[in-house]
Amino acid sequence: MDRLKRLLLIGAPLLMLFFDSCKKDPLNNLTNEESRIYITNYDTTANFSAYTTFSVTDSVTIVQDNQFAGRSYDAYDANIINAVTQTMTQRGYQLVNKSASPDLAVNISRVYSSSTVLFSYADYWDYYGSYYDPYYWGYPGYGYYDPYAVGAYTVNSGGLEIDLLDLRNASANGNKLVGIWTGLARGEQVFSSNNASGEVSLLFSQSAYLKK
Amino acid sequence: MQSIRKLTLALTLVAITATGAMAQHSLEFNFAYNVNFPASADFKDLVNKPAYKGFTAGFAWPVMEQLRIGLSFGYNDYYQKYPRQVYSNGPGSDISAVLSNSIQQMPLLATVDYTILKEGFVRPYVGAGIGINFISFDQYLGEFDNPVNFTKLAARGELGILIPLSNYSATALRIGGSYNYAPFKEYGFKNLNNWGVHAGISVPLH
Repeated sequence: MDRLKRLLLIGAPLLMLFFDSCKKDPLNNLTNEESRIYITNYDTTANFSAYTTFSVTDSVTIVQDNQFAGRSYDAYDANIINAVTQTMTQRGYQLVNKSASPDLAVNISRVYSSSTVLFSYADYWDYYGSYYDPYYWGYPGYGYYDPYAVGAYTVNSGGLEIDLLDLRNASANGNKLVGIWTGLARGEQVFSSNNASGEVSLLFSQSAYLKK
Repeated sequence: MQSIRKLTLALTLVAITATGAMAQHSLEFNFAYNVNFPASADFKDLVNKPAYKGFTAGFAWPVMEQLRIGLSFGYNDYYQKYPRQVYSNGPGSDISAVLSNSIQQMPLLATVDYTILKEGFVRPYVGAGIGINFISFDQYLGEFDNPVNFTKLAARGELGILIPLSNYSATALRIGGSYNYAPFKEYGFKNLNNWGVHAGISVPLH
């Protein structure tokens, strides 16, 4: 009877955990394209048709943990810059050189953030003598000292960020370059050069208001 | 929360009472494969496909010739993926994503069932249960999710037939259907009510 009671009271929650781990994993049923999300935010007070010209940054800025980490112009970066330029032009804006006082500035960044994950084999050193008898090394009767209990590794994840800044009203906005639209893409293979134009296309397609 | 504590207490009492009853009667073990279908409009908004990964397992103790009380544990895995769509994230904010809902219901119920006919090749039975529903709720936007676990109430009504394997065996096939009441009241969804069909076996443990 005691065993049965223990089975009922302890076994049931364990079974729940076990079967929870048996669930169909949604990640296994996603393609790389499906894994990506696209988030756009815009200033609801902005009149996007009031702007005429724009200029795009000549390279992509690398941001690592909110720190400037350099600029890049590889195949992916070139494709993103081209795709943004083409799409803005299709939306009725005119590309000009940055020295021609554009109404809009387009900054493109790769934003990375890292997080440290800790794991611990708490009992590993407690039984070390049973794995490796000190006798083997010529130190019978000695023990082991536990130098490390925790292991760590770093996960780095990144996303594409496109920002439209209002240059035309910089003075009127209190000498601030106000961001009036941002687009963010995250997910698997987000920085693959083959995906660049598709990412820009999706970000702009959900921003129908962004046109001359 | 208070009602869940009361239910936990009730389940424990049923377990203790029933294990006491075992000394006099034969304990039965039930296992059945389940297919469950979302029944309420709220649940169908999240998932409208059946849960093909499911089972119910439990113990039942005859307290009278046709009446059994017991404990039952169930598991149902609901999953559905929706094509990419743009979702509003508040004024001025939109998210384009493939949305996947992954919901697991794991009811732990105190049960009672009554066999309507004592004899015969087919013996209809009715049953009911009440207890706790452990719900794992995970909504994915693309590959990004936010898993949350809930503990809610659960109740079940059941109707089915027992088909003894022979005139001399207490082992029987157990086939039937159930309606599962599963209040939720989270994220604007009132309940995860569902109905299910099951096929399994009931085995006496000597």
